[in-house]
Amino acid sequence: MPESLVSASATAPTTVPGAPSEPATDARPGSSAGPLATSSADAARPTSRALRLGVAGPVGVGKSSLIATICRALGAELRLGVITNDIYTDEDARFLRSAGVLEPERIRAVETGACPHTAIRDDVTANLLAAEDLERDFAPLDLVIIESGGDNLTATFSPALVDAQIFVLDVAGGGDVARKGGPGIGRADLLVVNKTDLAPYVGVDVARMVADASAARENRAVVALSRTDDASVAELRSWVLDVLGSFRSGAHVAQDPGPMAPHFHADEDGGYVHSHDEPGAHDHDHAH
Amino acid sequence: MTSAHVLSVAMLLADARLPSGGHAHSASLEPALLGGMPVAAVPAWLVGRATTASLVEAGTAVVTARVLAMADDSGLAGVVGAWAARTPAPALRDAARLLGRGYLRLARALWPEMPAVRAVVAHAAAHGPLPRAVVLGAVAAATGLPPADTVRLTVYDDAQTAAAALLKLEPLDPVAPARWVLDACAAAEPHVPRVAACITPEEIPASGSPQTEGWAQAHALLSQRLFRA
Repeated sequence: MPESLVSASATAPTTVPGAPSEPATDARPGSSAGPLATSSADAARPTSRALRLGVAGPVGVGKSSLIATICRALGAELRLGVITNDIYTDEDARFLRSAGVLEPERIRAVETGACPHTAIRDDVTANLLAAEDLERDFAPLDLVIIESGGDNLTATFSPALVDAQIFVLDVAGGGDVARKGGPGIGRADLLVVNKTDLAPYVGVDVARMVADASAARENRAVVALSRTDDASVAELRSWVLDVLGSFRSGAHVAQDPGPMAPHFHADEDGGYVHSHDEPGAHDHDHAH
Repeated sequence: MTSAHVLSVAMLLADARLPSGGHAHSASLEPALLGGMPVAAVPAWLVGRATTASLVEAGTAVVTARVLAMADDSGLAGVVGAWAARTPAPALRDAARLLGRGYLRLARALWPEMPAVRAVVAHAAAHGPLPRAVVLGAVAAATGLPPADTVRLTVYDDAQTAAAALLKLEPLDPVAPARWVLDACAAAEPHVPRVAACITPEEIPASGSPQTEGWAQAHALLSQRLFRA
């Protein structure tokens, strides 16, 4: 059968069949190796590649809605693309397409083989290829947002896939969740406490939840968000723009929230907090 | 520094933990089950694939390795054409090319200086993504993987991919699919010499399955699926 009869598949309608997609030499940093490889090789060098921003968090906290909010807030000034990682369906991609916040072609769904955390952590290949396709098909893009399939508190993005990541919780999930910690809550670039408008209905003290989160994060950024609260949306918007500016100037370094949250080791001297981010942190032999 | 033994290369490639995006694929199993194939038929289906569809992929890899070993880059187009002619469903070709891109990322990171790998990188840059079987053939040429083992690797990987996907779709004692994988590999064994002897694109087995192709097309249109194909 001649290749000319081949049409693009239903799952990738905007891919041009036969279009070169694996350039042998490609000046864009990270186009083949991902942010991790470039952050070490091209540290502090300005880049024009799109910022890849991950959005993770448990099922139902409003990740897709948060992405729609970002698209609404920044769609007029930034060139955006979105990749979703649904577990069972392309529900999230369809939700975002139907939200009308972005051209439908700029929203792609990636299957994860029932392993949403694998697709963002230990084998990011499918998402990297999708990001490269999106960046090629709509070049140049400023921001590619990658939504993880809703998982649990342990799922975080690998710096090999994203340059920065947002971890999302919501007040309806319980005011105590921020205290439970975990790599995403503790060490994502930004923690969003979502749906603050629901707090009165679910008996959650937002200020307390944000304070717990800030304590767990050693004062890394936290935004208490409601899509109906313009001030909070403006706060989110300026965070994204700050990271993008820092990324473009070459100052931003992708951080790994790690599989482990910073944790306390008791010893005869009283103990110490151990964060796993220093080189060689895993060389020691104590049991966790 | 000495190179890794070719058996180690084969084990690396056969390992489900290989970071090439394979975990999102079911080797046509999910399309088959959603298309109505009963779970009870999976062992026979695995044997069927190992002696038909898997051999199309295996023959493609074997011929690719031979073409590249002769430093005949122009022959690649013929191999890709022969593979495409034997894989009529666009959904399956798209999935194979996606896997090929994952393999190519890996191959050009692991064996960047090998002429066979350079040849497929250049071909993909000029003509678009290559299917996994072709990239596997380049890896075989680069690492000296013998043709018979390239066939066995392809058959095993296909069966094991389906078996792993089965445990997510229809949970059962994981020992059972492990047995079925070995049974499928055993069923393919009498075909290994024939496929390993393929030299020209015309000799690649044309033993694809129309039913599998049909299921793949239907699957690509579903909005509810766990696997890419």
